[in-house]
Amino acid sequence: MIDTLMLIDDENLFHLVFEDACSMLDIALSIEALDSSDEANAKFKKWFPDDPDHERPQCVFVDLNIVGSSYDGIEMIRKINHEYGNGCVIGIISSSSDPEEIEKAKAVGAQFWIIKSDDIEPRLQEFHRDYEGYVNKTAPFKIYR
Amino acid sequence: MISSKDTVKEAILKAKSKKVYIEGNFVKLLAKTSDTEVKDYIEECKTRDINQRRKRLDITKQVQKQNKELEEASVIKEALVIELQNSLEATEAAKKEAEELRDKAVEDLDTLQKRTQFELINLIVRVALWIILGVGLLTTILYIYVLSIGIDSTIIESTWSNLFGILLTNSFSIVGTIMGVKYATDKSN
Repeated sequence: MIDTLMLIDDENLFHLVFEDACSMLDIALSIEALDSSDEANAKFKKWFPDDPDHERPQCVFVDLNIVGSSYDGIEMIRKINHEYGNGCVIGIISSSSDPEEIEKAKAVGAQFWIIKSDDIEPRLQEFHRDYEGYVNKTAPFKIYR
Repeated sequence: MISSKDTVKEAILKAKSKKVYIEGNFVKLLAKTSDTEVKDYIEECKTRDINQRRKRLDITKQVQKQNKELEEASVIKEALVIELQNSLEATEAAKKEAEELRDKAVEDLDTLQKRTQFELINLIVRVALWIILGVGLLTTILYIYVLSIGIDSTIIESTWSNLFGILLTNSFSIVGTIMGVKYATDKSN
């Protein structure tokens, strides 16, 4: 089970859906859901590089389009991976399945892309099965449709 | 009540006796136990937690779906309003164009009427002038003929003089009428 998971998504209702689904599927023990990438950026900036050993989320899910934020999901992943240290499993969770955006996400180091839908549980379950591979960096980039 | 001095088992049994069930991920932190009473309680907590989460998840999904539908409906409504506004603008433009065409048609008709009237007046004037000239010429020829053959010209002389006077008066009358009509038409415009 993932101990700490961070979700960055502007849709508050999705926070509830995600938290309940993760809890029911025994995916994560603790979930921190943030509304904006600016908020997440501020946290990561504080944790790294001043305190590289600071406890950080083991896994980060970022929405592609975060309304009211300075950065979109891809830019957020780039910042986390390249500016604040590449240590956590990170990927996109979005209703979009635009191949161009998927390629961009891959290029900045996203490890997975989960397409949001009404039935999110099977995708999260599949992701949970592959999780160890993402931690070990052995699993290839995957799209959960 | 649960005291800080109670063991985990004691705390759990106290909660169980009061029918209070642990909720949330805390249940997942409780290690597996062989104690049937505690085990059953933890299982009950997990089942209740899952059921509650399932219920909440279903409701949240329903609200999410309704929100999405409302957003879509709002977009459709907005599109319809824009479409209606465009139609209204198009109708107004068409109305304006129709009014302009109508005004132009009325103007054309007016011009046509005036031209017809002018042509009629022109014809009347020409015919009247020809008649005046013809009668004047005929009377003059007759008068010259009477003078040349030397017969009594008293009657024809007075007739010629009267006729010429009448023709002259009528000519001025026609010219005056035409000028009056022209003036009145110009003023009405």
